[in-house]
Amino acid sequence: MTSPAFDPVTLATPFFILTVILEIGLGRLNKVKANYETKDTAVSLLMGLGSTIAGVMIAGVSFAASLWVYQHRLFNIPMTAIWAWAAVFLLEDLTYYGFHRLSHERRIWWAAHVNHHSSTHYNLSTALRQTWTGGIAGTWALWLPLSLLGFPPAMVAIEKGISLVYQYWIHTEAIRRLPRWFEAVFNTPSHHRVHHARNPRYLDRNYAGILIVWDRLFGSFQPELDAEPCRYGIVKNLGTFNIFRVAFHEWIAIGLDLVRQPRHALGWLFGPPGWSPDGSRETSAAIKARWEAGQTAPEQTKARAA
Amino acid sequence: MLSQAFLVQVAASGAAVAALVGLAAWARIARPLNPLDDATARFYLGEEFPGCPIERLWVATDGAGALARSGASALVLCRLGDAYVARQIPWAQAMAAAFRNGQITLDLADVAAPRAVITLPAWPPADLAA
Repeated sequence: MTSPAFDPVTLATPFFILTVILEIGLGRLNKVKANYETKDTAVSLLMGLGSTIAGVMIAGVSFAASLWVYQHRLFNIPMTAIWAWAAVFLLEDLTYYGFHRLSHERRIWWAAHVNHHSSTHYNLSTALRQTWTGGIAGTWALWLPLSLLGFPPAMVAIEKGISLVYQYWIHTEAIRRLPRWFEAVFNTPSHHRVHHARNPRYLDRNYAGILIVWDRLFGSFQPELDAEPCRYGIVKNLGTFNIFRVAFHEWIAIGLDLVRQPRHALGWLFGPPGWSPDGSRETSAAIKARWEAGQTAPEQTKARAA
Repeated sequence: MLSQAFLVQVAASGAAVAALVGLAAWARIARPLNPLDDATARFYLGEEFPGCPIERLWVATDGAGALARSGASALVLCRLGDAYVARQIPWAQAMAAAFRNGQITLDLADVAAPRAVITLPAWPPADLAA
């Protein structure tokens, strides 16, 4: 069986709508923490709608590629076996971790992912603020090894859908902390708030999809600290609600950099976001280093800045 | 070709988006954001540009933005929705900004934040104008 039996994201769409209504309603009644700004909400939801349309455009290519790879599979993995679902759950989640980390640490893939982080809000509409250019960025190829191993493409597609649906509900400030055992194993609203925060301490942390254990394992975990509330958005927040600028600004910025300095093309494309040949811009690592220096030796930082 | 079912799905999703945006507008639960004063502008600028000493500060008369001089740089703060956006541009660029109808329009030279409009009594300041 190679075509998806069902699409978890499509099935969950009514749930998405109802829970946004619920979060706004409870926020309005001051029952939970939920801030919605009208234009920000419009941009987030329209990005989600546009992402669905863009996804359909590229779905044929990515699914055809996974089918081709599957024809050259190493093993025959049955879609009916429980162990196979357990295995695809773990491997898909690990793949997601890798994809997500790459999407933050290399500019060409950050260009496709930045949209999801550019809201200064953190609510359920932010979860739907999805990329229009993920297909072009080609990150779907990262899942091809699963089909090469022998997982049917439909199985991988379903598992990807389950992961996306899981990650929806964690985009909220309405839930503070969950039981300790759950926070230890799974990605939660608290862990993912950190991921969306622009505080230097929180930058480039908590890449997990469903299991936070990958971050703990690979050293990218950062717990949310009550003493340091999350400030959401990106290092340089957007100065516009124009949806086309929201969708394409980093691609355009890359294009301008390439035209200005084509000999640094590799750096502009595959360097970390904020990289520049002369060091005049700041990467996350540089921001964190400056912040850490300020934490430990404020006098030195002041002297350097003077 | 996109199927008719997909087009119906997109149209229904568009209607749902419109309804949710309308609900968010009705709820009026954006972050409360008081107009900037000297202290809050300095706080935000300090957060955005740590280590950049502020030599002079001009806060917008409507409290929706601020402009500061820090050495050869201008630090710009302007309101967008219920948050502030910050950028650093050359001071000369800020000095050359157009001033019309009580507002300066700063070209931020950034595709993600093309310009900032700040309401000020006059620009450039008399003591700095050449």
